[in-house]
Amino acid sequence: MYNWLTDCVFYVAAALLVVSSLLVITSRNPVRSVLFLVLCFFCSSILWMLLEAEFLALVLIFVYVGAVMTLFLFVVMMLHIDLEKLKTNFVRYLPIGALIVLGMIGLMGYIIAPEHFSLLAPAHHGADYSNIKELGTALYTHYVYPFELAAVILIVAIISAISLAHRGPRGRKSQDVPSQLNIQRNDRVRLVDVPAEKKE
Amino acid sequence: MLENYFSVLIFILIGVAMGVAPLVLGRLVAPHRPDKEKNSPYECGFDAFEDARLPFDVRFYLVALLFIIFDLETAFFFPWAVVLDKIGWFGFGAMMIFLGLLVIGFIYEWKKGALEWE
Amino acid sequence: MNFVIPDVVPAIPEIFMLAMTCIVLLSGLFLQRRYPSLPYMLSLLALVGAVVLTVALYKHTTEITFHNSYIIDHIGSILKVTILGTCFFVFLYCRRYVADRNILNTEFYVLCLFSVLGMMVLVSAYSFISLYLGLEIFSLPLYALIALQRDAARSAEAAMKYFIMGAVASGMLLYGLSMIYGATKSVDIAVVSQVLTSVPASQNLILVFGLVFVVVGVAFKLGGAPFHMWVPDVYEGAPSAVTLFIATAPKIAAFAMAVRLLVDMMPLYQVEWQHMLIVVALVSMAIGNFVAIVQTNLKRMLAYSSIAHMGYMSLGLLSGNAQGYSAASFYIIVYTIMSLGAFGMVTILSGKGFEMETINDYKGLNSRNPWLAFIMLLLMFSMAGVPPIAGFFAKLGVIESLVEAHLVWLAVLALVFAIIGAYYYLRVVKVMYFDAPEHQSRIDTTSMDTRIAISANGLFILVLGIFPGIIFNLCKAAF
Repeated sequence: MYNWLTDCVFYVAAALLVVSSLLVITSRNPVRSVLFLVLCFFCSSILWMLLEAEFLALVLIFVYVGAVMTLFLFVVMMLHIDLEKLKTNFVRYLPIGALIVLGMIGLMGYIIAPEHFSLLAPAHHGADYSNIKELGTALYTHYVYPFELAAVILIVAIISAISLAHRGPRGRKSQDVPSQLNIQRNDRVRLVDVPAEKKE
Repeated sequence: MLENYFSVLIFILIGVAMGVAPLVLGRLVAPHRPDKEKNSPYECGFDAFEDARLPFDVRFYLVALLFIIFDLETAFFFPWAVVLDKIGWFGFGAMMIFLGLLVIGFIYEWKKGALEWE
Repeated sequence: MNFVIPDVVPAIPEIFMLAMTCIVLLSGLFLQRRYPSLPYMLSLLALVGAVVLTVALYKHTTEITFHNSYIIDHIGSILKVTILGTCFFVFLYCRRYVADRNILNTEFYVLCLFSVLGMMVLVSAYSFISLYLGLEIFSLPLYALIALQRDAARSAEAAMKYFIMGAVASGMLLYGLSMIYGATKSVDIAVVSQVLTSVPASQNLILVFGLVFVVVGVAFKLGGAPFHMWVPDVYEGAPSAVTLFIATAPKIAAFAMAVRLLVDMMPLYQVEWQHMLIVVALVSMAIGNFVAIVQTNLKRMLAYSSIAHMGYMSLGLLSGNAQGYSAASFYIIVYTIMSLGAFGMVTILSGKGFEMETINDYKGLNSRNPWLAFIMLLLMFSMAGVPPIAGFFAKLGVIESLVEAHLVWLAVLALVFAIIGAYYYLRVVKVMYFDAPEHQSRIDTTSMDTRIAISANGLFILVLGIFPGIIFNLCKAAF
């Protein structure tokens, strides 16, 4: 029962993954491509789950579907791509593209064959097994150095994104409270000593 | 471990069915006779002047990008919180350094005004 | 849980660098209005401090820490010090260039420092994870740096090109590393090289496939042909100050990656990667030297010359003996110093509102500023390999190691290409000394500190030519 069901889920998710990734590149509307990419991520998340990597499966939905795809949608809408124009050479480049894809598939099929790839599928664990705990104990102790480097990459990303995309405040009408409070009377009011005219 | 997720599978199946069923029913039951005029966009009787889709402002992109970064940061918090009793002060310190770096990034973006809209 | 808290002492230079970079960022945010040159000064301080720490903490033994993620050894220390010193001179040269143009000041220095930090991590990487993270930390700021001059369309195009090519290169490298991981079940370079001793190359084709992708990734990052397409466009399109940075320190980092992945990890597959590197070296020398002849833009010409130099450097690596490895590291260090001087010259001569980019701009430089023309002459002679300047000894060492490895035909070809290459370097010299200047005005865009720096740079090349042992013995001890 258990094997039958997981096999069934695997084949459905894998087939859906292949179909939706084909639709990503063939769909006429870029927004629709992005939505099919969401479906792709969702299917691969199911595949992660079947490997009992529950944290990675959930993070894939949490980060990729939740955040990255939002960004993709914004980018697609910002760039205003005319996909029809991009596809004018689709047929011309199809043979070489197909050749490369066939080469990659052949290579991958060769590599993953069990006599070359010495990694075996992970064993199934019981109901009390927690993938997050395993991951956490390894990540924050043995892999603490790569973990801190990840923070460096994130801060570099923040700085690059802001310095490239942020154009500074444009006509912002916000109040600068400290300078309002620091204002001196002399900055606002100028008292002029006008000699009084004498009455005749 | 997967048996814990059996109910989630059922939930997904029912959810998908609930979404797909009305669409299929509508397609099957409702009358469906499109023609050229019905499918064309309507703009006060004229032909449409321009594309309805306008390019978005680049600031949306910046906000989405900054969101991803802090989203990833929270993703790192989950396993940390779960095993905090096991990894001890070392793990705690590791996360504090991680967080400190991102706080510096946050100060930068705040001070630069990247969080303000207009 | 058998967990020992890792020893952080070997990594103190990196930690110091990270802390200082954050301080530079915050000082630029809060204090720049009051002290405009504070980020610049602090950046220089960071580099000097990191050099001092790297030298002081090096105990002449190989130390591995952070659970096999981090290694510090002799060659790593030499390369780190060179990277930091190079960046120090880069900052000296480009202070004015950055201030004169529409480039965000603090961000420029901070991104450069982050990139340097990434290079240090890459040099010290001893597992695939830290190697890849180091590679990304050093390349990501570079993409942003190129596009930092936001009103220049040419820079944006260069940044785009570099970004896409860099992403392809990273993808290739990851693909290769994942194959090696699949075959050996480990991401630690030490463990992988241990496992490989029991698996001969003929039996495991997957490792050879992985090696192919690794070599492609390394060649992309080094900018060697046939993966050189991005080099000329990026060098030409980027603002000169950024070109100066991209053309110098990253080469050392890419070399370190080659050493870690090929020499440290796969010494037993030396026959396989030797063949691949022979192709890379030959094509690089041919394309670099021939195409450079027809260039009219100096930055583009130097870009092709860098492709050729990467070819010569790989000759040292591929000869596969300790002499070759040390010759290659000597070559990469000398090349970096030469290219630092040449691109530094382009940067400091470009003033507010004009760039000294085409070779014609250098007409009659001798009559406009004889001292700078002389320094440029030294640099060009060194790049061409004229004795007794450092570039000559670098080439000599590489060719010697080829003869040692019984690859005499390759050595002869390298000599032929070097003679062809001499033509375009000498053309620059001819233009500077024998052509009439287009502008009569004396060049006064340089300030005192840049003049001292560029003179030190040029004279160091000369001194290194007369006493090559200063650095060559260090490189020799490393392998």
